[in-house]
Amino acid sequence: MSHEPVPSVPHVPGVVAPKAPPVVDASDLARALEERSMGQALRTEELVVNMGPQHPSTHGVLRVVIKTDGEVVTALQPHIGNLHRCVEKIGESLPYYQWLPYVDRMDYLAAINNEHGACIAIERLAGIVVPERAEYIRVILAEVQRVASHIFAMGVYGLDIGAITPFLHTFRERERGLDLLDHVAGGRLLYHVVRIGGVKRDLSPEWIDECHAFLDAVEERLPEYNTLLLDNHIFQERTCNIGVIPRELAVGWGVTGPALRASGVDWDTRRDAPYGIYDRFQFEVPVAHSGVAGVVGDCFHRHWVRFKETEQAIRIARQALRDLPPGEIQAKLPKTLKPPKGEAYVRVENPRGELAYYMVADGTDKAWRIRCRGPSFSNIGVMTDVARGALVADLVALMGSLDIVLGEVDR
Amino acid sequence: MSDAAATPPPATGAAPDAGPRDAVTAAAARLLAAKVPGAVVEAVETGRHPSLTIAADKLVAAARVLHDDPELAMDCCHLVSAVDWPAKTPADGPGAIEVVYHLVSYARKQGAAYRRSAVKNDGFLVLRVRVPRDKPEVPSVMGVWVGADWHEREMWDLMGVKFTGRASLRRILLPEDWPGHPLRKDWAYPVEYHGIPIIPPEGR
Repeated sequence: MSHEPVPSVPHVPGVVAPKAPPVVDASDLARALEERSMGQALRTEELVVNMGPQHPSTHGVLRVVIKTDGEVVTALQPHIGNLHRCVEKIGESLPYYQWLPYVDRMDYLAAINNEHGACIAIERLAGIVVPERAEYIRVILAEVQRVASHIFAMGVYGLDIGAITPFLHTFRERERGLDLLDHVAGGRLLYHVVRIGGVKRDLSPEWIDECHAFLDAVEERLPEYNTLLLDNHIFQERTCNIGVIPRELAVGWGVTGPALRASGVDWDTRRDAPYGIYDRFQFEVPVAHSGVAGVVGDCFHRHWVRFKETEQAIRIARQALRDLPPGEIQAKLPKTLKPPKGEAYVRVENPRGELAYYMVADGTDKAWRIRCRGPSFSNIGVMTDVARGALVADLVALMGSLDIVLGEVDR
Repeated sequence: MSDAAATPPPATGAAPDAGPRDAVTAAAARLLAAKVPGAVVEAVETGRHPSLTIAADKLVAAARVLHDDPELAMDCCHLVSAVDWPAKTPADGPGAIEVVYHLVSYARKQGAAYRRSAVKNDGFLVLRVRVPRDKPEVPSVMGVWVGADWHEREMWDLMGVKFTGRASLRRILLPEDWPGHPLRKDWAYPVEYHGIPIIPPEGR
């Protein structure tokens, strides 16, 4: 039996109905797949794609121009500078005291650590001795900030590669840490509490109790985060053997912090070139070693180092709380600070790596030259070498594992 | 601002006050004297600011020696910075720009012996290269330390130091059409940028 097929599209004069797509024969598909596996067919043209500056996984306003061949990244060039405001130029036009609030805005997730470094550099220029109690308060605040920053980084890394739940869990504890700093400094993210020659506010006994409770809570929750991330099979599949930064490449590019230790370099400024009073505390420096999962230097290990460091930061903060001596919290300073001619190069261990200040004083109340070395600035440079040949989705995993903050890249 | 308190170029590192000799700087000076004659123009081995001033044309050779030497093993260029020292009066010449390299060694210092030693200075080796302000050309050390790439681009962008011998030298933080190099002491604020008025700090 044969009859005329009923047209599905009613005939309209002057309009031709689109042709139905050709039906793919099963054997055609099999042949195409076979050819693809032999690398002969289905080659795609190279395509230049802008990733960012408003891509959620670029953590701010990083624009990465990637050349892709299908899903494979063949070349990559980060473009930075969208947040540039020349903190260094501002520093040259302001007295030392007035410049300090600006350093908070560089790495806005670790403002206390930024202030700590800047104050040490200025104190070294001017020869200021900081009271004991202030040194301990600085360490306590810096380590609470480090805990908050690291658990934030762990949570958003999960978010980057598709796990939303851990983000909500880590933010619960992080907010508690930020509340603590808020009670001391009066701000949620930008504090200006570490001052030249000391700190602005003292710690009350209630604050110390609350800080202990916070550290206990984070310590208790860390295994919970691990159940969701480090021990999670899907997380391991996304991060193990991905974005491997070999040791030589990491050192050559000037990668620092957790990313450097994840590449197997046993170096932590707090232990190996201690600043402040860090030489008084007992803590371990976690260094990636083979035997956890994946290979040394991959995304998994950067996350692993961050997790281990959180434990050690809690340990340092507890020791500092235990040993906190009574006394002054602010050295006596002149109203106009005029350090003598000279220079200082100070590096401190930030949650993201080594932050360094190079300051040149000319004897006036303003610095002649200030140069800041943002850890993220050096850490994202390595991406150009590592990401070649990676999948686009793995690029997101790599970028997230470096934990960059664009405020400090662009300064 | 530029005439306020400009120190003459050679005095960046303050007075060479007495003090213990810096072992790293002394070793580097010895090594360079043997391997690259004429590279070290001035060596300050004591005091608060030990550093070596290197001749610009010998910089890459000196950097290669410091990087490859098994004893010093300066495998990381921590920071490249530049300081502008304009002349106080026109009669003093064009003034100078000082490019400062902070080098550090992870290979040498990560052993347990270093951690046990009592002296825990930061262990930086500081190299200085002084070039005239009107022709600030310094050879690039990107071939020795790949990490110097972005730092050199930033110093070109903000300070106008021309690094030679590298593939390209583009601005990194500022837009390509930004006028001048803002960290120069004589840089003047532009009136506007693409219709956006710019108010210098004095006018705020």
